[in-house]
Amino acid sequence: MPSNYPGFKYGADRETYSAAKVKALESLLIEKGIITGKTVDQILGYFDTEMGPFNGAKLVAKAWVDLEFKQRLLADCNAACQELDFPAGMSGAEGEHMRIVENTPEVHNVIVCTLCSCYPWPTLGLPPYWFKDPTFRARVVREPRVVLKEFGVTLDDSVEVRVWDSSAQIRWWVLPMRPAGTEGLSEAQLADLLTPEAMMGVATVQV
Amino acid sequence: MFTQFEHFAATSLMGSPEESPPRQDGHLHFDRDWEKMAFGVAIALSKQGHFEWEAFRQTLIETINEWETTHSLDDPEWDYYHCWLTALEKVAVESGVIAAGELEAQMTQLLDCKSEPCS
Repeated sequence: MPSNYPGFKYGADRETYSAAKVKALESLLIEKGIITGKTVDQILGYFDTEMGPFNGAKLVAKAWVDLEFKQRLLADCNAACQELDFPAGMSGAEGEHMRIVENTPEVHNVIVCTLCSCYPWPTLGLPPYWFKDPTFRARVVREPRVVLKEFGVTLDDSVEVRVWDSSAQIRWWVLPMRPAGTEGLSEAQLADLLTPEAMMGVATVQV
Repeated sequence: MFTQFEHFAATSLMGSPEESPPRQDGHLHFDRDWEKMAFGVAIALSKQGHFEWEAFRQTLIETINEWETTHSLDDPEWDYYHCWLTALEKVAVESGVIAAGELEAQMTQLLDCKSEPCS
């Protein structure tokens, strides 16, 4: 059904229309010398290569196979980040003060930012919208087990749940437990198992 | 302190599922090439100081609200990047980056070139 919205005046053809409009905008800006043909790729490249959950996944996978690295990661996350070949500025841009907490059979950790949406961008990427949702922020502190269950994580009563409140001073994230049956996997294969949700403590790692 | 404008810009939009760019596994997710270009152009123009990021953000929110008040919320026509593009065009014209009508003229030229070769 064609849209009545005045911005989408081409109705059913709006895909073609939008694609043509963006192309026209880009070519106009290039003609005017405001951007170059490479500008957009450079900006997108930043999101693709510099910061994202693939960084956190790499760190966790290394910690799973190298216990000494794991100790260093838990003791000083930012220093441990520097041991890996991360792009310059890895510990900048909201990642200056990252701390990681380890899930064990006895303790399950979950992160929240009760004030706003402080988040370790360099290791987890962009926060999901619910992370900033007032309901999630309030409820996860009050009834973490219930919230975790809604996310699909059911914990035994014997497991202690710890909620870590991120702030401008410390941005927390979680070192999940390595799942059973992954003994033969390489570090890269292990990294592929990790999701941002697992590193926020609202999911477990699935094989 | 925001040391990377790109990240500041993207995360300032993370308030709600509606305003926030679609993501997949913590990455920005684009379905079509033109979405990428519209996203990148908006960030580039603001980064260069042609308009404040907040001005773009507010225009995007207004555009989304306008759409929502004229459509039912489960209308399958809803499309985040169409709203993004509408907001981008508004802000680009308001800030004087492009003149009103200039974009239409450029489009006509580009579309005409598709049907017959232009020099």
